[in-house]
Amino acid sequence: MIEAQGLVRRYGEFTAVHGISFSVPDGEILGILGPNGAGKTTTIRMITGFLPPSSGRVTVNGHDLFTEPSRVRRDIGYLPENVALYPEMRVFEYLRYRAQLEGMSRSDARTAIGETVERCLLSDVEGQIIGTLSKGFKQRVGLAGAILHGPRVLVLDEPTVGLDPKQIIAIRELIRELGSRRTLLLSTHILPEVEQLCDRVLIIDRGRLVADGTPAELRQRAVGHAVLRIMVKDAPAAAPEIFGAIEGVRGVAPAASGEPGRLDLECSPGEDLREAVFRAAVAQDWVLLELIEKKASLEDVFVRLTAKDAARSSGGDIVDSEPVPVASDSEEIPS
Amino acid sequence: MSALLAVFQRELRAYFFSPLAYAVLTFFLLVNGYVFSLIVAFLSDPRAGGSTTPLKLFFGDTFFFWLVLLFVTPVLTMRLLSEERKTGTIETLMTSPISETQVVVAKYLASLAFYVFLWLPTLAYVVIVARNSEVDWGPIASGYLGILGIGSVFLAIGLFASSFTKSQVVAAVATFALLIFFFAIAFMDSLVTQETIKNALGYMNLLDHMQEFGKGVVDSRRLVYYATTSVLFLFLTARSLEAKKWR
Repeated sequence: MIEAQGLVRRYGEFTAVHGISFSVPDGEILGILGPNGAGKTTTIRMITGFLPPSSGRVTVNGHDLFTEPSRVRRDIGYLPENVALYPEMRVFEYLRYRAQLEGMSRSDARTAIGETVERCLLSDVEGQIIGTLSKGFKQRVGLAGAILHGPRVLVLDEPTVGLDPKQIIAIRELIRELGSRRTLLLSTHILPEVEQLCDRVLIIDRGRLVADGTPAELRQRAVGHAVLRIMVKDAPAAAPEIFGAIEGVRGVAPAASGEPGRLDLECSPGEDLREAVFRAAVAQDWVLLELIEKKASLEDVFVRLTAKDAARSSGGDIVDSEPVPVASDSEEIPS
Repeated sequence: MSALLAVFQRELRAYFFSPLAYAVLTFFLLVNGYVFSLIVAFLSDPRAGGSTTPLKLFFGDTFFFWLVLLFVTPVLTMRLLSEERKTGTIETLMTSPISETQVVVAKYLASLAFYVFLWLPTLAYVVIVARNSEVDWGPIASGYLGILGIGSVFLAIGLFASSFTKSQVVAAVATFALLIFFFAIAFMDSLVTQETIKNALGYMNLLDHMQEFGKGVVDSRRLVYYATTSVLFLFLTARSLEAKKWR
């Protein structure tokens, strides 16, 4: 359980984080999403106690970070953004060092290292010098160091950056497995990662919380209306008119790809018009080559939320933005 | 305690895994060996008149002693905190359940241990002298005590400088400057007329200290001076480490 209340961090004149509050209940995987420089790492560092907040409060499992720092540090396993290891050490030596730092007894450390090495798939490189390992292995060694002492809370800052696709999949699987029994806070700017891993997402932009919800909720909020993409063979000229006349279709536009015959139909929210579109095409004796329900991706949400904010702050009117409430299903999105 | 030991051990290992340590060790032994051979040659000459404390010359009577000390300590300490800050390992370290003070003490003790290791081979000179002539063991023990005392101050200063910067070179240069200041401040006494200041500076004359230690004089005031100065710099290092987080 992590609770952050009104976290603010200033660096001199510059405010990197403007009052972020959130909480992560036990057993949840929370993703922090944001463009580069949004304040993700600063926020994470305040949670792990590496940076003290300029104001605000962090409690982990009910213990205040400020008054009981070593208690909280013991409860947290932390993988920093740039996994930094001691290159001259061997993998098992490093893990033994980390265990000792955490105050584990020799026998506890031995069993924990054995288990962790197995779990992080490090058995083959256990005796290797860290400096000679590939980036993916280093990342896993760092992760192994973070989970070694069995923390109930895990904080991972961009754990898959710089890995090849195969390594990314392996690390993600590991994270998913770890997250099933722990509270996990994960920062990333890779959107598919969030969709695959996280129960809930925070979107941070310019040091402010701009959204908070499950990936599904956020997606829904971004779309507001469903879009059907169709492609009609031979691109009949009457197609926009015919399809536009279907009840529930609010607008017809040629698809962005510009191919003749491909159209985007904007539908009223909550209606499934696929059958109606199909029947309309059959009635005209047209052949439908494509009929796809376009889902908004988190990318759309992300772009909307972060771009909107940019427009506002460049307009010079600085408002302390409230986190956008998660849309209920019928809510309209003002454009 | 276990955390402190972990950092101490890692740090000491890091010394022996870096080529720099071996370069320092080699340089150190080359210079000291050369100085020792000069001393032996000098004392073997009947015109020199012999000496009752042959190793007094070795402990601080030659300028080599100070040159070595002033150059070697910055190299031993420059890595300690700068490297952790540069590579980012400090982030994992400082988010572990270990306090700033523990980190500082562990690193300091590691550098002190390596410093002692550096001096160990010079015991061979003592053995050589003892085999060929009579040796008064008191001044030798006090000489090494002086080396340990002054070294502990220098290393504390070096650790302090290392806490300020990510660059090892900057740390080494800053340490060297601070050491020169500490070493040379006593020589300012010739520029001071006021009696109390002159006396105070006299107490801080490290050159005098080493010569006295070499003769077998152990003055507890000097030991207190070394201990308090070291503790002061270690305290400042811990505060500097803490303050880094707030900026």
